Amino acid sequence: MVAPSVAPLAGRRVLDLGALCAQRPHGLAASLAARLCASYGAEVVRPVPEGGEPLAQAAPLLPGGGSALDRFLNLGKHAGTATGHFDVAIGDGEALAAHASEVPVKARISVFGPGEDGPMSELGLLALSGLLGIVGEAEGPPARLAGHQAAYAAGLAACTGILAALRAGGEEVVDVSLLDVATWLNWKVAAGVLVLGSSPVRGGARADWYTVPAKDGHVALVYQEKDWPGLRRAVGDPRLDDARFDTASGRRKHRADFLAILGPWFAARTRAEVTSAAQANRVPVGPVKWPAELLTDAQNQARGFLGPDGTPALPISWNGRRVTPETAHAA
Amino acid sequence: MPLDLPLAGIRIVDLGWLTAGAASSALLCDLGAEVMKLEGPGAVDPFRNWDGAKDGTDWWNQSPWFAFTNRGKRSVCLDLKDPRGKEALLRLLGTADVMVENYRRGVLAQWGLDAATLRKKFPRLIIASISSQGEDGPDRDMVSFGSTLEATGGMAALTGSGEAPVITGRDVNYPDQVVCLFASGAIVAALLERDRTGEGAHLDLSQRELTTFLLGEELIAAAAGNPSPRLGNADPLEPADRVVPDGQGGWRAEWPGGSAPVRDGAALAASEDFARGTALLRSPDGKPAKGIPFRLSSRPLAIRGNCRRLGEDNHAVLAEAGLTPEEITALEEAGVLATAPRRGVVA
Repeated sequence: MVAPSVAPLAGRRVLDLGALCAQRPHGLAASLAARLCASYGAEVVRPVPEGGEPLAQAAPLLPGGGSALDRFLNLGKHAGTATGHFDVAIGDGEALAAHASEVPVKARISVFGPGEDGPMSELGLLALSGLLGIVGEAEGPPARLAGHQAAYAAGLAACTGILAALRAGGEEVVDVSLLDVATWLNWKVAAGVLVLGSSPVRGGARADWYTVPAKDGHVALVYQEKDWPGLRRAVGDPRLDDARFDTASGRRKHRADFLAILGPWFAARTRAEVTSAAQANRVPVGPVKWPAELLTDAQNQARGFLGPDGTPALPISWNGRRVTPETAHAA
Repeated sequence: MPLDLPLAGIRIVDLGWLTAGAASSALLCDLGAEVMKLEGPGAVDPFRNWDGAKDGTDWWNQSPWFAFTNRGKRSVCLDLKDPRGKEALLRLLGTADVMVENYRRGVLAQWGLDAATLRKKFPRLIIASISSQGEDGPDRDMVSFGSTLEATGGMAALTGSGEAPVITGRDVNYPDQVVCLFASGAIVAALLERDRTGEGAHLDLSQRELTTFLLGEELIAAAAGNPSPRLGNADPLEPADRVVPDGQGGWRAEWPGGSAPVRDGAALAASEDFARGTALLRSPDGKPAKGIPFRLSSRPLAIRGNCRRLGEDNHAVLAEAGLTPEEITALEEAGVLATAPRRGVVA
């Protein structure tokens, strides 16, 4: 006998106004929050504007036509209209006012907070939150996080707020500020100023984690001070015993000399060989993998994380089982 | 009078460390749950160690970083390696709704506290295990920090404006931050499921999987034979996005129809939008504290308590779990229940 599927939102109807949001970050955040609700077993209805689904031609595109973004974000949802009873509606202020005045739980996405919705892009959100400025090589420009992290993180926050509001019962408006969420993620920077009077900066004193070229790609060099002896053992080059490299500040100060020893050792080995040597010494180094490589990754396969078309399952195993919109709706 | 908070009456035993575990339960605390942070005299949260710690003081109670994340929680210091400590934890779990943990895989099992055993003993308990790789699979025991998972989860390959893939590094460790938004939601979902079915659950949350999930469209595109290259600072949906020097030594983000300064911490902290926002708040004692990433209009959320001293709630919490004053005193005398770490000096 198959155990019944997990479906915490079974019987709930969610109105996804992501396609009707005036700005793209809001639309992506709402779409992701609604996607999570679908995975948790809700019936999600997504009205689209007259011109059709706005994500239908959004990058990345599929070779046979259509959009991977559309497929990912709209999995498990139904196209439909904003009529009938809904338990939850998700959108920007305007779309909610126009289509969801009667819905008891509303998740309202904004830039700065309720009613503060000037023009904004995801790049702008990352810039204003400090999350753009803190990421990247010291000598290079700031680096934008891949994908749609600013919007998706807000979608995750919205979903958590919605679940909490549903558990509480009654009417609620969950207000999610895209900027607050991005800044919340980047708390070390803001807290540095308030707590210590100064904050970390890109390429600053703590910037000694970076990627290093290996024979077949890159490896992420990630380690704490306590891991240095292990890393030195893994590499096994006596020149690393030089007192100049004993401390993080020493290695930073002599980075060129340090990399002159480390670099060739990495470059002569595959990512797997470097990772294996580091992990044998409990150093948290790992291979930089491309999405295409993750499709055949042993860990992902063993855990049944990716579907045949690459679609990731909800990143949770619930009593040892995956939670998917398909199984949820079959409940 | 505001309505009851969503998690009023929910009791959480928090075995969460650093950010991924401890900030997930902090968010549940903000939603109204009672969170009991449990550390051991031989194993305090590493956030208690900080650069300003001074020997000869109660340095473990002084860390602003620890207080920042753990404000509002009660504090219990109990040695789980000792069978008496384990027994006390089991009594406490008998009164709890949720347990959050992000220990290294295998540690709880070593003590006979694995999820399967606990689920059997406490069928209504929700156990949230937050880990780097998940509970099983060939990489289960791979040692990783947040930025390692950006590499292994596909994010680093697609991030960076130059030749090399970029990781966020020690000051962000992105997967450690973002998992809190997801894990807290999953725990509330499990509470809803328990309301529906009467059953608790074991939630196995892999931070690496979440990192990949947040690039879901890229996995689908790659599987279809159309993998994206690293796009640098361009938005996949807006190739004209760019980051340019601002002429004053800084940078500026530009996109069709708008632009914004690339702020550093000082500019962020000085901005009016930051001051009005909820990303950082203050605990009742006025100290800066991790904020709350959303607002509820009918049930205003706030940080409801200060950071407690290590073990400050030992007596009260264990008494609520049904231990007698004599049992509690015996645990103290045995050093199983404590208010200070065993080692006297800063690591």
